[in-house]
Amino acid sequence: MRKVAIVGGGGTSCGKREANFRELVQEAGKAMFENVKNISPKDVEALIVGAAQPERFVFQAHVAPMVAEYLGITPRKVLARTELMCASGQAAIRYAWACVASGMADVAVAFGVEKMFMPDMAEAQTNMTCVLDREFDGVNALSAPPFFAMTAQRHMYEFGTTKEQMALVSVKNHHYSTMNPLAQFQKETSVEEVLKSPVIAPPFNLFDCSGITDGAAGVVLVPAEMAKKYTDTPMYIVGSGQASIGNVIGNLADLTDWIPLKMAAEETFRTAKISLKDVDIAELHDCFTISEIMEYEAFGWCNKGKGGKFIENGEPYVGGTIAANPRGGLLGCGHPLGATAILQALDILQQFRGEVPKGRHVKDAEVAITHNLSGPANVHSILAYKRS
Amino acid sequence: MKKVEFEKIKRPESIKLPYMLDFYPLEDEKNTRTSQFFKNLKEGRLTTTKCKKCSKVLWPPRIVCPNCLSEGLEWIDLGVEGELYAFTEMKLGAPLGFCQDVPFCVGIVKIGGLLISARIDNATYDSLKIGDKVGLKVVELEDGRVFYRFKPTR
Repeated sequence: MRKVAIVGGGGTSCGKREANFRELVQEAGKAMFENVKNISPKDVEALIVGAAQPERFVFQAHVAPMVAEYLGITPRKVLARTELMCASGQAAIRYAWACVASGMADVAVAFGVEKMFMPDMAEAQTNMTCVLDREFDGVNALSAPPFFAMTAQRHMYEFGTTKEQMALVSVKNHHYSTMNPLAQFQKETSVEEVLKSPVIAPPFNLFDCSGITDGAAGVVLVPAEMAKKYTDTPMYIVGSGQASIGNVIGNLADLTDWIPLKMAAEETFRTAKISLKDVDIAELHDCFTISEIMEYEAFGWCNKGKGGKFIENGEPYVGGTIAANPRGGLLGCGHPLGATAILQALDILQQFRGEVPKGRHVKDAEVAITHNLSGPANVHSILAYKRS
Repeated sequence: MKKVEFEKIKRPESIKLPYMLDFYPLEDEKNTRTSQFFKNLKEGRLTTTKCKKCSKVLWPPRIVCPNCLSEGLEWIDLGVEGELYAFTEMKLGAPLGFCQDVPFCVGIVKIGGLLISARIDNATYDSLKIGDKVGLKVVELEDGRVFYRFKPTR
């Protein structure tokens, strides 16, 4: 296995964009290629496109060659789309990484795109109900918000977590996203504002939920020994972990204890030869406020059930125990499904390069992880990155 | 200059609810090998498959046991009363086909040793609490297909 570097990347601004699927692709592609020196689209041998539901959102299948076409790429080694719902982008990075690590390709692009705003938003909500087992869970109108609302309800019931503690996650991530030009939400929020935002599915209010988002992003991967040709400041993929248990709600390992996350974290740390205390930045999958709280616990920054207290005590901030989501998270940046993990990777690169504003910059960071969950949190995917 | 033709075209004003937006499974024997599940439901029985070889209870119903690969499965009753494990109420963001029901409750019900998600009828978020007893209810679609829901029994 060859060591693999990410040598650059770019993304669109995210949100309700006045641009269609293929225009998002073009914007992100231009930004990506312009961020890498000595590269032309024709050099790209492998293209993996993370896209969760283009068939539903834009009625378009076979999107990998479409992305290749719009980016001027003519892949001759590997071309495919990855779908792992909210972790589709991370799946793209993982496979692009595998392509380069294995020697199958020397220059690979991991791309992600999702156009989620539709003329009728009920249709977008409908799409999300086939993420869970459609015939036994989706049929009950269970999309992400009600499912994670029940997770939050159980967490509150079992551990005494409060709505105010959950709101603090939203406040923190909206704070950081005001310093991220690509983020969907550019305004600070407060605990009161979160609690007063419209009720979606109790205990969730609107600001407990990440947005419906349009966005795209891409990163370029090459073997580490070739990295300096493309940039002076590469970052390296040093480890990963992924685990899945069950799928239908009744077969999950546990609603309030994300065992697959613990397994994936253990594997990440083992393969990256790092420990939790080495991690300087953690991009966590805060699709809902409760998710981030449970991630503090499952990664082990705090004990089970203490995630609410952990944020109340000001620990998951830049300068605290762990810089959690200094990008602004999904809550602040939005969640363009296929693009999210790519945008996370891109932000880590910018953190390492010192290209992010001071208020959210983690100084001298050497080690970062990005995490995505998908479906009813039965699947957890993690990548570990190093600056050197 | 050549003359360019302009013409208004028409699409159908309405289309039948397409399968792609139909949440309810196709349940007859022409479409599934587990149609017995729905036949049982029509008799007021919530059932699932159990492996006769390794005794594993399998939810949702299967045709092959993932534990021992046996096809020798039998139908077992899960009972008609369960306990509410978790619940919420859809207030905003319901999918098409369910918008007319808003607000409505959904929950996870502990029944027959399993956790099953289901709509909870005759309830609001504030009227329910974790641990409440709920009873099986069967809803029938206009085309004769059936599905299970629960309602509070107190």
